Amino acid sequence: MYSRDVHIPSPSGENFKIGDNSDLVLISGPCAIETRDHSMKMADLIGKICDKLQIKWVFKACYDKDCRSSPSSFHGVGIDEGLQILSDVRKEHNIPVTSDFSDPSWAKATGEVCDLIQIPAYLCRQTSILRAAAETGKPIHLKKGQFMSPWNMKNSCRKLEAFGCDQILLTDRGTFFGYNMLVNDMRALPIMAETGYPVCFDATHSIQMPTSMGNISGGQREFIPHLTRAAAACGIDALFIEVHDDPKNALSDANTVLDIKYLELVLAQAKMMHETRRELKEKWGEDNVHPR
Amino acid sequence: MSTLDNKNLDIKSVMLDLNSTPKIESRAILKEALELMDDNRLGIVCIVDKDGVLKGIITDGDIRRMLTRVQKPFAALMSDDVIDHSIKDPVTVKSDTSITKATSIMGNKRVWDLPVVSDDGILEGLLHLHPVIEAILGVKND
Repeated sequence: MYSRDVHIPSPSGENFKIGDNSDLVLISGPCAIETRDHSMKMADLIGKICDKLQIKWVFKACYDKDCRSSPSSFHGVGIDEGLQILSDVRKEHNIPVTSDFSDPSWAKATGEVCDLIQIPAYLCRQTSILRAAAETGKPIHLKKGQFMSPWNMKNSCRKLEAFGCDQILLTDRGTFFGYNMLVNDMRALPIMAETGYPVCFDATHSIQMPTSMGNISGGQREFIPHLTRAAAACGIDALFIEVHDDPKNALSDANTVLDIKYLELVLAQAKMMHETRRELKEKWGEDNVHPR
Repeated sequence: MSTLDNKNLDIKSVMLDLNSTPKIESRAILKEALELMDDNRLGIVCIVDKDGVLKGIITDGDIRRMLTRVQKPFAALMSDDVIDHSIKDPVTVKSDTSITKATSIMGNKRVWDLPVVSDDGILEGLLHLHPVIEAILGVKND
């Protein structure tokens, strides 16, 4: 099993793929599902921007935030309500949806609604989680743990493959750089791409400063545009950006989500960089200045 | 049997059979290939596909030479797919090759091991220099 692209089934019938030199795909939404109305509103706002820029996209929002820093932080609307909302977003907006899960027993229900299954970065090597995700039969979005080296993500891929999954999207969301700080080593993108699977850049979690504010995480979202351009120039197949219409009052990741009013700005530049890189690749071929 | 008689044997009688031949699939990592060499006390691992067809070999000499050249971190190197560092068109022999000819090939190519393959390229075993010498000399070193 060795797939160069990930096929996203879309309720519109216009299935699309991530990878294999295809157009850049966006995975976006609020970090957490807050209410049905908010999810619908965000899907509408993101959808209009993506329509304008002609970018295929997947709506992302989580029903359970199990990795929050504090027990008093918003934990999510829960699996039943959350999946119902995701199902409604999928149906009303005719777009594929994704969510993560942090308990193996939630995988089956999540797979029945979502078109793409996300594995949280902290759980990226948990065998029971990977097995449950693979058994949904859906494509898997596997985030590199902040503690993982990019080459060691191969082990998690091999686990998924052993459980029957060959549709894997690998994402960089930053790597721990001392305490309460992440850094993006852009080499992670080509290194993870050596697995043969498409790669994605998570622009909003990359600028996170994990639990830097005592009991919540901080972030430096002023660097989202810079890092996004760098990642797109480096070579990615998908871009992950969490957005909110009122970041200050977002129930999860308030310090890292991108204000929706800036999404077009970031996305348009990412698309241009992606297309430029494809043109360069066509003209000059694959990057290979140090053959083995 | 005299030493001269032994030279006319084919390698079938002295080669390591398939079970004793270290073999690995192409997407195993380099570290697993090294472990297999240690386990078998040999300096070679044969890389095969799911049908048993030989896709390449990797030797401890290849890895030694690589260590002086590759600049990536050791942990990253150990995680590389073994096929990426292999010799993909190794010299091979058929099981009906004579010991004399096989020894000559080893000498010319300066190798200690030769994978034994069928006409279809399926790995059948491995010819290692030490058993060959023992056979030619007519001695058995237990």
